[in-house]
Amino acid sequence: MSHHDANMVKVTDATERIAHWILALSCLFCLISGLGLMFHTWEIIPTILGGYYATKWLHIFSGVVFAMALAYAYFMWAKECRFEKDDLDWILQGGGYLWETEKLPPVYKYNAGQKAFFWCIVVFGILIVLTGLGMWFSDSLPVVVARLAFMLHAMSAFVIGSFFVVHLYLGTIGNPGTVQAMFTGKCTRAWCQTYCPRWLEDHDKNCVA
Amino acid sequence: MKNMDIVKVIDVTKCTACRGCQVACKQWNEQQATRTHNWGSYQNPPDLQSNTWTLIRFQEYVDKDGTFKWLFRKDGCMHCTDAACVKVCPSGALYYTEFGTVGVHRDRCIGCKACVTACPFGIPRHDVRTDKCYKCDLCYTRLLGDQKPACVLSCPTGALTIGDRATMLKKAYARVAELGGDANVYGDKFVGGTHVIYVLGEKPGVYDELPEHPKMPATVLWWKNFFKPFTLIGIGGVAGAAALHYLIKGPHEVKENKEGGE
Amino acid sequence: MTNHYIDLKNSDVILIMGSNAAEHHPLAFKWILRAKEKNGARIIHVDPRYTRTSARCDYHVPLRSGTDIAFLGGMINYIISNEKHFHDYVVNYTNASFLVNPDFSFDNGLFSGYDAEKRKYSKDTWTFQMDASGIPLKDPTLTDPRCVFQLMKQHYSRYTLDKVSSITGVSKENLTRVYAEYSATGVPDKAGTECYALGWTQHTVGVQNIRSMAIIQLLLGNMGIAGGGINALRGEPNVQGSTDHCILYGNLPGYLKMPLASLDTLEKYLEKCTPKCKDPQSANYYINYPNFYVSWLKALYGETATPETEFGYQWSPKLDDGKAYSQLHLFDRMYEGKIKGLFAYGTDPAVSSPNSLKTRKALEKLDFLVCANIFDNETSSFWFGPGVDPKQVKTECFLLPAAATMEKEGSQSNSGRWVQWKYKAADPPEDAISCGDIQIRLMDAIKALYAKEGGPNAESILNLKWDYKDRDGNMDVLKVAKQINGHWTADVEIDDKGVKKQFKKGDLVPTFGMLKADGTTACGNWIMSGSFGADGENKMAKRGKDDPTGLGLYPNWSFAWPVNRRIIYNRASCDVNGKPYNPKRKLLEWTGDKWVGDVPDGPWPPMADKEKGKYPFIMKADGVGSLFGPAMADGPFPEHYEPLEGPLTKNPLSGQLNNPAIEIFKADVDQVANASEKFPYVCTTYSCTEHWCSGALTRWQLWLLEMQPELYVEIGEALAKEKGIKNGQKVKVSSARGEVKCVAMVTKRFVPFTVEGQTVHQVGLPFNYGWLFPEDGGDSTNFLTPSVGDANTFCPEFKAFMVNVSKVQERTL
Repeated sequence: MSHHDANMVKVTDATERIAHWILALSCLFCLISGLGLMFHTWEIIPTILGGYYATKWLHIFSGVVFAMALAYAYFMWAKECRFEKDDLDWILQGGGYLWETEKLPPVYKYNAGQKAFFWCIVVFGILIVLTGLGMWFSDSLPVVVARLAFMLHAMSAFVIGSFFVVHLYLGTIGNPGTVQAMFTGKCTRAWCQTYCPRWLEDHDKNCVA
Repeated sequence: MKNMDIVKVIDVTKCTACRGCQVACKQWNEQQATRTHNWGSYQNPPDLQSNTWTLIRFQEYVDKDGTFKWLFRKDGCMHCTDAACVKVCPSGALYYTEFGTVGVHRDRCIGCKACVTACPFGIPRHDVRTDKCYKCDLCYTRLLGDQKPACVLSCPTGALTIGDRATMLKKAYARVAELGGDANVYGDKFVGGTHVIYVLGEKPGVYDELPEHPKMPATVLWWKNFFKPFTLIGIGGVAGAAALHYLIKGPHEVKENKEGGE
Repeated sequence: MTNHYIDLKNSDVILIMGSNAAEHHPLAFKWILRAKEKNGARIIHVDPRYTRTSARCDYHVPLRSGTDIAFLGGMINYIISNEKHFHDYVVNYTNASFLVNPDFSFDNGLFSGYDAEKRKYSKDTWTFQMDASGIPLKDPTLTDPRCVFQLMKQHYSRYTLDKVSSITGVSKENLTRVYAEYSATGVPDKAGTECYALGWTQHTVGVQNIRSMAIIQLLLGNMGIAGGGINALRGEPNVQGSTDHCILYGNLPGYLKMPLASLDTLEKYLEKCTPKCKDPQSANYYINYPNFYVSWLKALYGETATPETEFGYQWSPKLDDGKAYSQLHLFDRMYEGKIKGLFAYGTDPAVSSPNSLKTRKALEKLDFLVCANIFDNETSSFWFGPGVDPKQVKTECFLLPAAATMEKEGSQSNSGRWVQWKYKAADPPEDAISCGDIQIRLMDAIKALYAKEGGPNAESILNLKWDYKDRDGNMDVLKVAKQINGHWTADVEIDDKGVKKQFKKGDLVPTFGMLKADGTTACGNWIMSGSFGADGENKMAKRGKDDPTGLGLYPNWSFAWPVNRRIIYNRASCDVNGKPYNPKRKLLEWTGDKWVGDVPDGPWPPMADKEKGKYPFIMKADGVGSLFGPAMADGPFPEHYEPLEGPLTKNPLSGQLNNPAIEIFKADVDQVANASEKFPYVCTTYSCTEHWCSGALTRWQLWLLEMQPELYVEIGEALAKEKGIKNGQKVKVSSARGEVKCVAMVTKRFVPFTVEGQTVHQVGLPFNYGWLFPEDGGDSTNFLTPSVGDANTFCPEFKAFMVNVSKVQERTL
């Protein structure tokens, strides 16, 4: 039986991990370079990146990478991130992060918070990509639309940037053991039973089969 | 003109549309000509371009009394005191000069086109070949040398004049009083007052491409006054909250750890 | 200009008619705006098209091209019938009171003395009745039916508001508005001026257009005063300077007359050219004609010009009697194959001459063509132009690179007769040299050839004084300028107003008053005499900014011919006692022993002094302004005739459709289509601010080309709608002579006229384009224009002819 095969359960495959990191790093790079373009006082960022002009293009290129990774990620995770009935309950209990609770509904692969983060990235990612394109080609847009693009780009950056930090915290020190999922792809069985018990059941069944 | 808050007055009622200013601008700023075609108007190039920083607009207009008028308006940067372009420029290429005008550090421009969309007057233009944005800088280097801008120097009729803000505004209002009718001063009552002021013979709404009530676009205000700080507040706030959570609640432990090995 | 540019600011009413001043004199136009700002002057623009000038005027009055005399005749009628004329001025300073020859008549469009076969007038009856001593009989009450005033009144009584409105297409309201406003200047303290340019000259009635206005100005007392006058706006083509220096074939420098072949001795020539007047009060300044002419011959032939050789009169070229040699004639004869060679310096006739097809065909018939220009143009490159097979062209073509104006030192004359010295700004590029140097090298070679081989009229060439070179063999422009000014050819003692003055041979003549017919002075152009001081000071280079009169005369800025007079006929600004009519704008005043102010038209006391006093118009034989002008080829009173091509079959004013005194050219390409259904629209041509003349210089300037990139035709909205033409669409404009393709500019600025009850549309095109450059800029508008000119000057009728406009396929490859 695979039960005692190992203490570790493979939670992600290599493709998922690569896609995740491309998405994450391009997003992070966009955030940092974007902040460099937003705040004159942070001229250090464009300076490190080779000047403002280089920063603009690096921002655009990493934006394009982000867009492609986002598209891939969407098709990869959308199905697993579909909300279900229990998610509401999960959310109402704050996912157990904020107060003590013992009745958290068992999660399948991703909990409602993770799903929410995914959809947030999808929605605002699409928005930031589209508005980014709009800024890039603003001369072929009506000025009202172009102006909105500049504003919504900044707004999206605000949303994505904030969620990014939440994700970073919960993916690392907030939930010890989690970060492995995106490095080795393997988490402990206990971790799985805590964070994705229903998925683990299915996983085990599949292994038997 | 050293260290003066300067204003250039464009008295359209004295303009003969000779376009000396249009050529002088190109000459002084070493801008190339475009091979244009006649598109049924004297106005050519048809619009401001990255290499055309000032343009005489020709407009055939019939007023409310049925009188035909041929309106000429020298279009170009208005040099706002509260300039949307300066506000949105990410690289500091656009800046306020000591004359109160909006200068351009061309080497700093990254061609992001934020200024192009933000400008309430639709002035800056982006050039694909150099990937930079261009607009009038009111001949900043000439002003430094105590010289009039090229357009003002070339104007044969006195339609273009330049001087310190108070004097020029006084003259503009005196001229409007003299003209009477719909004549008005355009430029001193919005965006903190522009450094290019029009004496218009007709109401502002009559002129093509001239906004009646120009103002900093709301999107720019939301962007720069709200989202920009909130990006920092958002990221910082969340990071702070996470830290507090870590300190207060601690990390979320995995429940069943008995079977767990190492 | 009788006045000068700055003087426009002194005006109370400025009529701009026949000119697009703002577009073509953009710098001078500021003085017009100044008049508006400082005097509250009214600025009126009368023009077929609403232009950039109209935009800055108080109002614009559209007028059908070629009907200016009808418009102005109506104004004369208005002035006389409403007694708006300045009575004292008219009686004293014009020939209004003169009694005209009883045989003089005008009937059905023709003046007495017309020879229909020769299309010429005999002027025998265009004279005044004389008393026993040979002085014209006058009726100062202006009531005698044969006096000029009454004849004029009668002549223009036909120009009623209804008639004029029907001819010109101007509404009666607009007519009376202009007439009333302009004639309000017929009072002592108001000044009205008129600005014209090619819009008046380029007609078969060009000179009479100007004459009509001269009559109005005399009637209103506007001649010779600050803010008045009749002002031809000349520009960068240096029309003023080139005319002063005899660009017209019938002239010699300083408007002296070219000798005719029939005047076979100097004596006969001088007898014919020197006007006579028995009236002791008339200065008749041209009594000095022999002084000016003989000095000219001395300048031409130097030492060889002696009394024995008639000062070289026999060597100087002469015109055949009754023949004309204008550019129209030149190309007509060239087209006939009668001309072998052409020198075309700084000109582009393949674009700028009327009937381009004829002009270009004519060039093919030359043996050689020498062009000197700063750029290649359609003339020097005609041999590979559109539709020309270079293999079939026998003409040998040369293009000499010439220096541009800023690459040479010399004088330039502005419209106000200011002759301003300027200096070289840069060396000409490569092999380019000034046209003067080209001439010097050419003439050196010709002289050498004649010296070696002889030839017909060798003396004309060999005796020619030709020492205008510096030590390096280049043209010494100061030597030329000093020769123009004049110098003594012998040591002399002059009695100048009671003061004895000594001059040495070679000293410069300080004024033309000292020129002599005895060979002791040489002068290249008498009106320029005084451009140097006797001490050698170059007065053209003066740049003094003092303005003692406050009228903007600036007497110490450059030199104005004649004798630094800024406003000519200025004695007419004062009454007969020498008191200024308008004390607010005191141009001149007689203080009892001398004139104070501008340089007066002669030192004599005002005419009230019956003994020494003189009439004010000293260049006229009888000393007064000519309301009746017998010098004209086409009548002493201007009369409206239709352009050679017009929309009407009958002249509404008489049985004479066209100017009876114009010459009609009859080459096969000289097609005319009057009132033809095929060519139903009136057309006019003009320049634009952005280009200059044929565009031969400006089309190469890409900043200018960017603003006006290609040929266009301006069409009124009504006509465009009728023809289904959209703004910016490609159209074809055709006339009986040719066609051009261009872009339609549909505009509110051309409105249809109602002429004799019919709707008449007018269109207009600029004449600044040619096939050579830019490639897709369109060709010369002059493919459309007829080879016909004014009866006096042969200035071509570029301003009124008939065309059709039709759509063509959109731009294809």
